[in-house]
Amino acid sequence: MSWYYIEGILIQSCYTMLIVLGLSILTGYTGMFSFGHAGFVCIGAYISVICTMALGINYWISLLISGLCAMVLGALLGRITLNLKGDYFCIATLGVGEAIRLIFNNLQLELNVGGKHFVLDGAKGVASVPLKTTFVGSLIVVIFFLIATTFLMNSKHGRNMLAVREDELAAQMSGINTFKSKMLAMCMSALYAGIAGGMLAHYFGYIQPRMFMMVKSTEYTIMVIFGGMGSITGSVLGTLLLCALPELLRAVGDWRLVFYGLAVVVIMIVRPKGLMGGKELSDLPFIAKLLGKNKAAKKLPTSDNGKEAQA
Amino acid sequence: MRKLLAILLVSVMLIGTLAGCGEKESDTIKLGWMGSLTGDQAAYGTCEYQTLQLLVEKKNAAGGILGKQIELIGYDTKGDAQEAVNVAKRLCAQDKVCAIIGPNASGQCIAIQSVLDEYKISDMSTVATNEKVTVQDGVLKEFNFRICFLDPEQGRIAGKFVGEYLGFDKVAILYDVNDDYGQGLKDNFVNVFTAMGGTVVAEEKYNGGDTDFTAQLTKIKETDAQIIFTPIFYQDFINIHKQARTLGMELPMLGGDGCASEVLFDAADAVNGSYVINHVSLTDPSGEAFRTEYAQKWNGAKMELNGYMAYDAFLAWCAAVEKAGSDDPIKIAEAYTQIEVDGMTGKIKISPENHNPIGKSGCVEQIDGVNKTYIFVTKIPTE
Amino acid sequence: MGYYLQQLVNGICLGGMYALMSVGYSLVYSIMNFSNFAHGGVIMIGAYIGYFALTALGCPFFLTFLLCGLGSGVLAILLERFVYTPLRKRSAPSLYFIISAMGASIFLENLVIAVIDGTPRNYPEIFKNTINIGGLNLGLDSLLMIIITAVSLFILMFIIHKTKIGLAIRACSYNEKVATLMGINGDLVIFVVFLMGGILAGFAGMLYGMRFIVKPTIGLVTNKSFVAAVFGGLGSLPGAIVGSLLLGIMEIFVASWNSAYRDLFVYALLILVLVVKPSGLMGKVTEDKA
Repeated sequence: MSWYYIEGILIQSCYTMLIVLGLSILTGYTGMFSFGHAGFVCIGAYISVICTMALGINYWISLLISGLCAMVLGALLGRITLNLKGDYFCIATLGVGEAIRLIFNNLQLELNVGGKHFVLDGAKGVASVPLKTTFVGSLIVVIFFLIATTFLMNSKHGRNMLAVREDELAAQMSGINTFKSKMLAMCMSALYAGIAGGMLAHYFGYIQPRMFMMVKSTEYTIMVIFGGMGSITGSVLGTLLLCALPELLRAVGDWRLVFYGLAVVVIMIVRPKGLMGGKELSDLPFIAKLLGKNKAAKKLPTSDNGKEAQA
Repeated sequence: MRKLLAILLVSVMLIGTLAGCGEKESDTIKLGWMGSLTGDQAAYGTCEYQTLQLLVEKKNAAGGILGKQIELIGYDTKGDAQEAVNVAKRLCAQDKVCAIIGPNASGQCIAIQSVLDEYKISDMSTVATNEKVTVQDGVLKEFNFRICFLDPEQGRIAGKFVGEYLGFDKVAILYDVNDDYGQGLKDNFVNVFTAMGGTVVAEEKYNGGDTDFTAQLTKIKETDAQIIFTPIFYQDFINIHKQARTLGMELPMLGGDGCASEVLFDAADAVNGSYVINHVSLTDPSGEAFRTEYAQKWNGAKMELNGYMAYDAFLAWCAAVEKAGSDDPIKIAEAYTQIEVDGMTGKIKISPENHNPIGKSGCVEQIDGVNKTYIFVTKIPTE
Repeated sequence: MGYYLQQLVNGICLGGMYALMSVGYSLVYSIMNFSNFAHGGVIMIGAYIGYFALTALGCPFFLTFLLCGLGSGVLAILLERFVYTPLRKRSAPSLYFIISAMGASIFLENLVIAVIDGTPRNYPEIFKNTINIGGLNLGLDSLLMIIITAVSLFILMFIIHKTKIGLAIRACSYNEKVATLMGINGDLVIFVVFLMGGILAGFAGMLYGMRFIVKPTIGLVTNKSFVAAVFGGLGSLPGAIVGSLLLGIMEIFVASWNSAYRDLFVYALLILVLVVKPSGLMGKVTEDKA
């Protein structure tokens, strides 16, 4: 196996993991299902490319800018849609995700700034993007965000999001500002997606709107589900499993997605908490003891327990 | 119990992963192929792959090449450029082929260029007609070659056919804005046609993936176009015809090389009377022997255009390997510009300046929906 | 003038297709308050059943039609039984339903790709497709779609408002638990609803295949019918149809102006509706009950 080949898979896993991490905050922790997450990745990719190619901005700063732009978009989207009921929200995200992709499909842009000639040609996207994404760089970004997310989720904000997922009405009555929690989740997930989009663009060397179709959003969601909602370790595992594996198991080809679809349904019925069961790596008995954690305090009421008690 | 199951599952997956690694030493010459086995152009890719399999089988039975057996390794690009890049990496880095044949789409060829340059393995494309595949911004791509004519040439052939042969001077165009191939073909056609004095009375677009063309067709119906030029692929060609006939439009249409396919006869009534441009006549008698062999091996399947192109690409590759005297990818790439073979689509000679074949001609055929076959109309040389 | 009328007819035909697809979806939503995102998959299977019935089995047209409806109906019931019922019994949050529906849809689409293949297929030409009414052209298949949609609407409204099972359905749509306490067989109600939705999906699939194309991804066309259902008002059957027709007409006029923007227009409309009036044109406004 050549390193070039493996490196490609690893880099792809890294930025996918970042997207899945963000999506995990939105779907896994806060319980909002998004059909349009690929739209944020799309925005991130395009903005970062405009920054590095047309405006000559440093790669790392462009990542930051694209993340922030995606976040602003997420905030706007949140403002509009977060008050909608579950199903409406899903369809809204579907609409927004597709709308973003279609806007870029029809956009023709030609910039000549400071001697740099930049062409954005609708459906043909942008070509010849400088290849700036390295394995080490991506790894650093992912680890940084993993740590940041862990801190976030273990804080009050994380617990608020979990409360919103379990029972929004009850959470509101407990004094949690559910809108703010949902908004935070939306913005964070958009930020992650935007940055990952920049990494994606500078890895492939070209971007086209058709790389960000709705199927991509569902793929990311499947990774979240596999690993388990409400678990960061789960998202990491889910991504590794579903991102690195297909490339290596190419021979299985078509049946892979059949298996995924079936697995999602089975997981939802049998073990909605996914592979990790809503727990983190640090919750494994021996590690927990090592870190001196109090396992009892970590157990949160599951939806099954709660509802059964009511009815 | 569940935890055990989970651990078991993960271990199985890990073992499966590791099983994929590992070097294989073999005494064969490896030829790679990539193309659309699934997706909208599946008919084309499948035909290419099947043709190559048949040819490799025959060659191996006759002793192989340079004394070694040929191993054909093929992958499905699903018609997607991203997938094409992954597949190219796998062929070059993992399978270590000495040359690649395919893919059948310009977008994919352009996308894999950086992989080819990195590994210094050549790619002979079968029907990628966009100019940028071999030369972009005046720079020749060292490892990209093609065996077919280009879009500028095809556009010219289309223009000449409509303007001179059919004598029409009013044309409507309906094409896919998302497609490099269609766009290039359309631009070239318009240039040639308007230079001849013709008028483009309507230029309608659609997005790839659209299935409803009634709005655009109704607009075209309002004009006095004599023929509709559709530089698209066969599936959309079928749909557009069906909907045009439903709207009561009897206009013939002219399609590019992306339209010529056996699949068209699924809607034989609708497409009857329209024309397609092709690299070779699908009913050319000299190809009859191979067509019969192909049908025998593949359960009566009929050959598509891509089969002929793959045939010629294979001939070119064999010649290049023999000329190079080894399976060194760089030597094969160099040898491509030095060989000359007689292929099914004419004499193949690759120009060292632009890696394109010299002196190919295109033929125009009319679709006979009643007998479900093509009627050869005329042959127009490229210049 | 004839040009605009023709475009209007085109729009109605397109809208008719969206309507047939969205009725089944809206029906399930109005009863179970849940978006059946696997509806697209059921439509797609209906199209394939029709294709194979016509080509491999050589069935006559009307028999194929019935087979499609039946096949999709059965599929819908199987989906309900194996995917949704387990979740329903455990009172799982609606998020789980949506995710399961998505999983089922992916499963169906890729099962077809793996078992058959992803190559697009065309229905054989069964009859001469064009009809000319007063200078305006439309396809027989489009006319069929519109007729079937209209007839289905009448039949459904009749069933829901005038029959005993309809009463049961309406009761369940307000509150399933209380309805079952009153002696209504909740499972039977859901069975009937999904069966009806599935049959309509089968018809929609076959007519779509006839008119356009058969490939595993045609389930995605239902995205626009979701938009139509929301536009007309989720939970209202007449709303779904009105919304679909209007959407079809507007989409065609946008396409005739600049066809590159037609999809963008549809999704922009969706966002507009959700911001201004989420309950759509004719939908019921529900509030969260404490």
